[in-house]
Amino acid sequence: MEDTVFISTPDNVTLEFELAGLGSRFCAWLIDSVLIVSLILVVGVVMILMGDRGADFWRTVFHGGSDWLAPWNFALLIFFVFLIMWGYYVLFEGLRRGATPGKRKMGIRVVRDDGLPIGFREAALRNLVRAADMLPPPASLLGGLAMLLDPKGRRLGDMLAGTLVVVEKFEAPADSAAAAAWAARVEQGRSRQALTLPQGVISANQIGLIEQYMARRYTLPPARSAALAWQITEPLLPLLGEDREALVKRPDRAGYCERLLLQILEMAKGNRSTSEPAIKHRAQPALF
Amino acid sequence: MSSAEDKQEQWTRFFIRVQYLLKRGPRSLRRLSGSELSGLIDDYQALTADLARARSLGAPRSTVDQLNRSAVAGHNLLYSSIRRPALFSESYWLASFARAVRRHLWAVALSALMFFGSAVATFFAVQFYPSLGYDLVAESFFDFDPASAENLHNIPSLVRPIVSSRIITNNIQVTLLAFGLGLTAGVGTTLLLVFNGVHLGSVAGWMTLHSKERALWGWIMPHGATELLAICLAGAAGYLLAAAIVAPGQVRRSTALKRVGGDALIIELGCMVMLLIAGLIEGFVSPTSIDYSTRLAVLAVSLALWAAYFAGADYRWRKSSGPSAATARNQKRPQPIL
Repeated sequence: MEDTVFISTPDNVTLEFELAGLGSRFCAWLIDSVLIVSLILVVGVVMILMGDRGADFWRTVFHGGSDWLAPWNFALLIFFVFLIMWGYYVLFEGLRRGATPGKRKMGIRVVRDDGLPIGFREAALRNLVRAADMLPPPASLLGGLAMLLDPKGRRLGDMLAGTLVVVEKFEAPADSAAAAAWAARVEQGRSRQALTLPQGVISANQIGLIEQYMARRYTLPPARSAALAWQITEPLLPLLGEDREALVKRPDRAGYCERLLLQILEMAKGNRSTSEPAIKHRAQPALF
Repeated sequence: MSSAEDKQEQWTRFFIRVQYLLKRGPRSLRRLSGSELSGLIDDYQALTADLARARSLGAPRSTVDQLNRSAVAGHNLLYSSIRRPALFSESYWLASFARAVRRHLWAVALSALMFFGSAVATFFAVQFYPSLGYDLVAESFFDFDPASAENLHNIPSLVRPIVSSRIITNNIQVTLLAFGLGLTAGVGTTLLLVFNGVHLGSVAGWMTLHSKERALWGWIMPHGATELLAICLAGAAGYLLAAAIVAPGQVRRSTALKRVGGDALIIELGCMVMLLIAGLIEGFVSPTSIDYSTRLAVLAVSLALWAAYFAGADYRWRKSSGPSAATARNQKRPQPIL
């Protein structure tokens, strides 16, 4: 089972969903089970209180006595217990966008595999076949195995209904400082323009390429990252006044290229043009 | 820096607005004015563009997460009115159960074979080897004499609601198991159908041996047609799921399951309604002192009604919309699984 799934929407937006793990799903199940049992107890007590004589009702239940005083209550009780046991999940997941109280507590919910909230159809399908996932009865080995083996962590009922269980933080996000800092960078990215050097022009596209490389360099394997840095820097060398032949021989070529690229970005950010001396004369950039 | 703060404020405003609308329920979008709605959509598009940029420009993880969460909320709000085709076709939804059953007759046949086949086999086995009865028939059925005058009054009318609701819930549970255990490649469904068939057949064989068959059939007949048919159909729903697992065809097993889920669910829900009817008859009609021929009549009527329903529930619909609608329906039909 993987950590995340990516879902493409019709308007070509890629949404990212973090899959709920076995642990949180089990905890949610535990909470829901406790709630189901207490709900049944509450309904039982209410039904008894609503009956003509509670004591006689109990006598009937435990001793099979013949004076059935609250048969309709008992009949309703049987019905309600059945409804709670089979309908709890269907009702909550169908009505509350895929989150039973237990799931909500654990911060997870059920979504359709196209990312939309589930309806009653999906809720009914994935919960009415719970018996199969519970095999052998309380141990849930079949469902657990399916969840572990499936890349999207689905139990059998999820496959049938076409649903996923994903992590959802219900509270509003609070981390604004990092986002604002990033937004500033977005603004600069937008105002990207060509950088004119004495020897020539570095196009806006090239600067965009450098930005993307800088953003990703630590997620790439080192060899790949070094090769990319060289590929990007090589055509720019004459513009920067660097000696290609000397650079090829340097052992720390990749690091040097990266520094050059950083300098280009610095210059592009400052939007300084032209008259500055070529980079070559700064032996070591201030950044390092 | 002010534009960055604007952006931040715009995101937060969008997230709070969407969360509010989501809490108000699925119809909240319809209450918005046109300009509010288009403003919301503009904000959503700006946000998703920011999200795409955040990913490709390597924004901090927390920023991508925040934007992604807002985008998911916005997507859920704006797109949740687009649904898969309705479970019950809206033109004549009462017929969708019959139509789903007709679409998968092979599964019904297989289920009937397992259930009635094992019942008939056990019936004859008990005829030829009466000692088998002691192994197969549950102890409480040895002296079972359902339709004798005394036994009928063993279930006083006051208790009938309880008997009825216990029977209904128990039977529905059995069909839910038959349905759900289809996911064990049909093994669980088959076991369940065969066990129930053997139980039915052995009791019938035992009663016939002791010449009480008239009493037994008299007891079973009023509700039997509905109840046994429902169990059969639930088995068929289970076999639909099993077929998707055993023979998914040209798609992944999970995809095959997803495709067949709707039909299987309709059949299972229909079975629940059938069992509700059967349970009411079993609780309130079967234990009364109506005579054998009346019971036979109830059986005949219920059989005829179910036959009419399954064969022609959409007759009126088909007639009114002509052959073009029938072809449209054929085109909508999902690919056969087997």
